[in-house]
Amino acid sequence: MVKVGDMFYAQAADIAIQQKGECGGAVTATLKYLLENKVVEGVLAMKRGADIYDGVPTLITDPARITELSGSLHCAPVIQSNVLFKYLYGAQDMKLAVVGVGCDALAMQVQIRKEALSANNLVRIGLNCGGTFPPMQAQEMIQKFYETDPMDVVKCEIVKGNFIIETKDHERKEFKIDDLEEQGYGRRANCRRCEEKIPRTMDLAFGNWGVIGPDAGKAAFVEVCSTAGAQLLEDAVKAGALRTKDPTPKGVEVRANIEKKMLKLGVKWQARDFLSGKEREEFWLEQFAKCIKCGGCWKACPVCTCDDCKLESREPRWVESGMLPSPKPQYTRAAHMAADCVDCGQCEDACPVEIPLSSFFHQSTKNTAKLLARFDEITASRQRTSI
Amino acid sequence: MEIKFVPTTCPYCGVGCGLNLVVRDGELVGVEPWKRTPVNEGKLCPKGLSCWEFVHDENRLTNPLIKKDGAFVKATWDEALDLVASRLKTIHEANGQNSVAFQVSCRTTNEECYEMQKLARVGFKTNYVDNCARICHGPSVAGLSLSFGSGAATNGFADALNADCIFMIGSNALEAHPLAARRIIQAKEKGAHLIVCDPRYSMTAKQADTYVRYKPSSQIALLNSMMYWIIAQDLHDRDFIANRTKGFEDLKATVQKYADVKARTGVPTELVKEVARKYATAKNAVIIYCLGITEQTTGTHNVMSLGNLAMLTGNIGRPGVGVNPLRGQNNVQGACDMGAYPNMYSGYQKCEVPQNREKMEKAWGVEGLPAEYGLTLTEQIDACGDEIKAMVIMGENPMMSFPDSNHVRRQLEKLDFLVMLDIFPTETTKLADIVLPGACFAEKDGTFTSGERRVQRIRKAVNPPGEAKADSEILTDLAHKLGLDGFEFTSVEDVFDDMRKVTPSYAGISYERLEQPEALIWPCPTVEHPGTPILHTERFALPDGLGHFFGIEDRLPAELPDAEYPFELMTGRVLFHYHTGTMTRRSPTLDREVPTGYVEISVEDAKEHGIQQGDRVRLRSRRGEAETLARVTSDMPKGVLYMSFHFSEGPANMLTNTALDPMSKMPELKYCAVALEKAALEKA
Repeated sequence: MVKVGDMFYAQAADIAIQQKGECGGAVTATLKYLLENKVVEGVLAMKRGADIYDGVPTLITDPARITELSGSLHCAPVIQSNVLFKYLYGAQDMKLAVVGVGCDALAMQVQIRKEALSANNLVRIGLNCGGTFPPMQAQEMIQKFYETDPMDVVKCEIVKGNFIIETKDHERKEFKIDDLEEQGYGRRANCRRCEEKIPRTMDLAFGNWGVIGPDAGKAAFVEVCSTAGAQLLEDAVKAGALRTKDPTPKGVEVRANIEKKMLKLGVKWQARDFLSGKEREEFWLEQFAKCIKCGGCWKACPVCTCDDCKLESREPRWVESGMLPSPKPQYTRAAHMAADCVDCGQCEDACPVEIPLSSFFHQSTKNTAKLLARFDEITASRQRTSI
Repeated sequence: MEIKFVPTTCPYCGVGCGLNLVVRDGELVGVEPWKRTPVNEGKLCPKGLSCWEFVHDENRLTNPLIKKDGAFVKATWDEALDLVASRLKTIHEANGQNSVAFQVSCRTTNEECYEMQKLARVGFKTNYVDNCARICHGPSVAGLSLSFGSGAATNGFADALNADCIFMIGSNALEAHPLAARRIIQAKEKGAHLIVCDPRYSMTAKQADTYVRYKPSSQIALLNSMMYWIIAQDLHDRDFIANRTKGFEDLKATVQKYADVKARTGVPTELVKEVARKYATAKNAVIIYCLGITEQTTGTHNVMSLGNLAMLTGNIGRPGVGVNPLRGQNNVQGACDMGAYPNMYSGYQKCEVPQNREKMEKAWGVEGLPAEYGLTLTEQIDACGDEIKAMVIMGENPMMSFPDSNHVRRQLEKLDFLVMLDIFPTETTKLADIVLPGACFAEKDGTFTSGERRVQRIRKAVNPPGEAKADSEILTDLAHKLGLDGFEFTSVEDVFDDMRKVTPSYAGISYERLEQPEALIWPCPTVEHPGTPILHTERFALPDGLGHFFGIEDRLPAELPDAEYPFELMTGRVLFHYHTGTMTRRSPTLDREVPTGYVEISVEDAKEHGIQQGDRVRLRSRRGEAETLARVTSDMPKGVLYMSFHFSEGPANMLTNTALDPMSKMPELKYCAVALEKAALEKA
């Protein structure tokens, strides 16, 4: 019996998938199993577009096409929760499997809480994520630091704090992400602050952290995060789609350490990015003087799920239309999101005037979350006194 | 259920942003960022983000329409095209070579622009074919060609990041070209000094390190004065001038008279000196300008003055420098490149050169191509009923976008036959005899060439509505009905290949090569060539290889304010709308932001005239009048009004002047004299 919290090394039983997929093709095999056995009608995941810097959310319904999906593309910051909600009716009419990373997983949690997404119709497959790189800046970085034509790069990975590229001639080069980031390159700002490296709100969380020894590169590490996930893993193994075995204790430890280290780094970056007091106010007012109210931030936001968006409503007009610049859209949004920002960075990616929006909403969510926690404390203590 | 993301190019301005159209079960449902595109990295402006919203609008034209007894009747394609072909033929045979004229919209694809000018030239042996660059950057093409030998932007948008100083004049990029403005903001945040010159304290001006308010239409005086102070302070680049240019003495003599231009420009001499110094002493300084420079009767001279300024300081031909017009329409660069121009074939090959005509005759299998300079866009309007008896207009809305709308109507009504290709009924299609329904950007394949000369694909995401089809298919069918050879196209790629065979600057560009998101920047003469992001690095494109200085004197606009018409009226765009509004006003998101037009009035003028925020006001010029709402703002100088031209209920172009820049035939859209008064509450 597989249980929540269990951990395994997993690989595809099918040799072809094992070789084509990343780290033993466990995710591909799971998705194929889900489609072939009609557990889901479709799989929503990332496909490689023009090249490794281009990720395209793709819905696949034919199991034969499953290998079109890509493994991790470190330079393609794409999330699926937004697509689920905006274009797939929040999975209300269709059983879907979705593959996403930590921020995507958190966004789905928020959407489910808001009843914008149907949890019952979803199989959620998580991927560990050490952060993604902006696709165009990553190419500049590869040119500048790796002295490599970005078009020659066939694969990128993050191992032990290094960003590694592999060229079509099988040449590997690596740099410390810390160093790259100190020089203005590296991961997206929100990824640096990330505290959700292993997406435990999904049903299963796959990754390569902790796969050591002879299994390294040949299997994925999977953690079971829900009862549905436990059932799925058990069924997939039974059906002969997946092979699992217990991870080595050392591997479990390595994985835990990687996560711990990265979380610590996230907190460090939060301290660097977050401002306080007067400085905070002035900085953001200055930033919002650039806002052209394109709506890109809220359209890209996976937790902005209102049918009648307050920023776009005509009756009543919560925000004056056609008057620019104004800080009001952003402050309205921050208030409206309360503690829901998942720091996915999609708003910042979309911003045409270079406002570092993710930090604004991330901090504002953290502050609100603190406030809400304090509220719970106060009400709890009242209850105690009244008893 | 099926969804797909289709990477394509935005249909609005000339920045050429990439985006993903989202298609669900054959219908557009949204736009999603395409982060892999080098131009905008997934970032978009309000127009780009909502560009899908008009596509399935219920008012789309879906059938060919033939006017019978004053009303449009649905027709089949065969009926409509047979009629077009036979009427055009009859009129042409009866009235001579130039009796049929062609107008091409810069919103259409390269393939369509190329095909239409080929149809005009092959089928009717006329050079009466022009595109709407005439009324936006015609003076850039004319002016930069004279100064540098090429009418296109010298450097790309992202290249602003290499500049230490950015000199903007007559451009409100943050509203009109937001994703080009992004590069400027990035540069500024990296430490570049941003100078913005504009009579209005615009959104863009508000980002400036140095803002220069000058009186409308006084650019030449301002620029000459800057050059005077650059020379007087010995800040000019003597080596560059000696090695790469000619005509410096002419310029030097001319600018001597411009030491103090405060009376003419309103700019204090100290500020002129400071700006001159900032620009001239920067290691790399780039000039970025737009229609505030071109849409005047001095348009070409304004552009040439910017050419002078850049050459004087050696700011040409390397990263971080150059002279860059921000092109207004998605394919305004391409429409010109494709030879939808009355004196040039594709790739700026002049018709007057016998070898060029011979080459095209041979390639197209025809004889007797004309050498003359055909009539330009607004000249064609003026010749309606006289020399011109029939007109084919593809995607233009002259009733809204050309100056003096009353005049345009009177003229178009004189035609024996007017054919319009469009996606929506417009103010102008009402006047047509036949309306042919086209496919919009989301419904066809093709290429657009952006303002940085980047040739990018658009990709078909959904089918056109009803019987509508892509303009290129319509033109191919029409060519067949006319019995023309050389139109055996089965795809737009065929058209593109036909074009690149005769176009040296595009010869190396193929659909296959355009699959990479970087696409290609022309000139790209061979299939191995990587493209040319920066022009004039070694030599200028003029025959002698040198850049040419011209001493240019200040000149007043065609119509000055007087007692009866005391205000200066400037026109322009607002962030949320595009041109005549046929697309953006059908987008709920954009319509919500700005549902109707307004005129910006200074606080002082509003007070003097007893006008309050939101009051209905009437503007009158010698040509017509328009009613709109007042927006009182401290961003406007006294005596100057600013109005956008998107709104047919308050059409700015009822007021504007048809007076032309003699060199480029650009009408003076940015300047005319008007009177202002409070109007009755309800529109009469």
